Amino acid sequence: MKNDLTKIVISGEGGQGIQTIAKVLAESFKDSGFYVSYIPQFGPEQRGAPSISFIQYSTKEIKYPRFYKADYLIVLRERAISATTTFINSKTKVILDSSTIRPNVIKQSENKKEAVPATKLAFDLFGKKNLNLIISGYLTKLFSLNEKAVWKIIKNQLQKKFSEKKDLEDNARNAFIYGYEFTSEKKNFSQPTFKTNKKIIISKNREREAFISPELCKGCGICIEKCPVGALKFGDEIGVYGNPIPEIDIDKCINCGNCFRFCPDCAIKVKKKSK
Amino acid sequence: MTKTIDKNFSMPKCFNERSKPSLYCPGCGQSIFLKHLGFIIDDLEIQGKTTLGIDIGCSLLAWNFFNFDIVQTHHGRSVPVAVGYKLSNKRRIVMSIMGDGGGYAIGLQSLLHAAFRNNPISVFVLNNTGYSMTGGQMAPTSIPGEITTTSPGGKDPKNSGKAFHGPELIKQISDNSAYIARASVSNPIMLQKMIKKTLENQIKNNSFSFLEVLTPCPTNWKTTASESFNFLSKMEKEFPIGEMTKNEK
Repeated sequence: MKNDLTKIVISGEGGQGIQTIAKVLAESFKDSGFYVSYIPQFGPEQRGAPSISFIQYSTKEIKYPRFYKADYLIVLRERAISATTTFINSKTKVILDSSTIRPNVIKQSENKKEAVPATKLAFDLFGKKNLNLIISGYLTKLFSLNEKAVWKIIKNQLQKKFSEKKDLEDNARNAFIYGYEFTSEKKNFSQPTFKTNKKIIISKNREREAFISPELCKGCGICIEKCPVGALKFGDEIGVYGNPIPEIDIDKCINCGNCFRFCPDCAIKVKKKSK
Repeated sequence: MTKTIDKNFSMPKCFNERSKPSLYCPGCGQSIFLKHLGFIIDDLEIQGKTTLGIDIGCSLLAWNFFNFDIVQTHHGRSVPVAVGYKLSNKRRIVMSIMGDGGGYAIGLQSLLHAAFRNNPISVFVLNNTGYSMTGGQMAPTSIPGEITTTSPGGKDPKNSGKAFHGPELIKQISDNSAYIARASVSNPIMLQKMIKKTLENQIKNNSFSFLEVLTPCPTNWKTTASESFNFLSKMEKEFPIGEMTKNEK
């Protein structure tokens, strides 16, 4: 309870769970006896657009929920950086996701930066949806909140999802604990591994060739659903929104054209080889 | 950042490749519709003389989708703007794209009177049974029992009415030469044929043409790809697909 007013900005991509992290944090500050304000940045309800939330906590009453310079800035996607650079001043501590962002993109002195390769950890250990739990765990430790109390709030928030599948809860709990115990990278940042391939992926055999463009594919999975012979499935490549994109088994393909017809983003095409 | 997107690879020629990947969510049905519209515009070779009016809502995200003139209008007013454009410049081919909120809620009177006057424009209404840009609230087109953010117990037809059927209503007051139809994104070949007829009716018969397209909204329905298309087939039972013809002759 040293500072009177602490200002936090959490930013990322719509669909990553930014607002869930922010709600959990705000609730936990409230339960620890602080005054809290939390507002999201309002915009179109859209997946892939930058999503930002503003939190303040203080021992005194908070007059106004907006602010212009933050004490803590949490950035989880490269796309969200341009929207949040105005909140940085010389005192701002920047926490970034080093598996998707190159640290030197953010203009801030090195000793004010910390990194958690959360996207990579989530993909490797717990499944991509648990990214926000790793971050909430990490932030719980950063703001020295009670870990058990925070988990209770998360459980309340995600009650509906947990009741559908049982193993989901254990997995989420593990991700949260992992984030809580994670020591962040300082100065020696790991290199971003989640980069979209700029080249069109071509796979061919003697009769036909298939083109998939990772730069256009958003990973909606409609082509996989609509393929009549099951030649498509999610592969290892990352698409433009950080989702896995389909890979094609060209020998199974019958060149029906369904994937091309249904693709919303013109990212896939199969054609007969011209002789 | 330099973009390396190659337009010739799978896009229609009239697409603006600098705006791709588009602003639409992953799996959006509207971008499937816009893609097929692009192919038909290529096919009819009318890129140089087309004007498109777009509405408020997710349809405004098409503001730089194509390489032809696009007019942004007020909410529900893309039909009157298109009508005015057509009256002042009869050689242009004028289209208007709206969501079901713009077409059947706030802009219904404009749509009805354009049909009543038989103004020679092509109107596309994309129906996804909700107000999607603002977070999936209940709309007139929501089907009975559908769960939305403002009808958490399912839409109650006693209080909120049944699903709104646009083409059936417009059929009652339109001219005999008008083309009125409903298509679905789940059948792209039929969709392409209907888009082509909608544009040809404006060019050849010089009369009103209207097409409703059923589109999935995975973001607000909170569905995966297969669930989206399951819900779409449920919608197709509520909103029958096909061309509406008048009973006379």
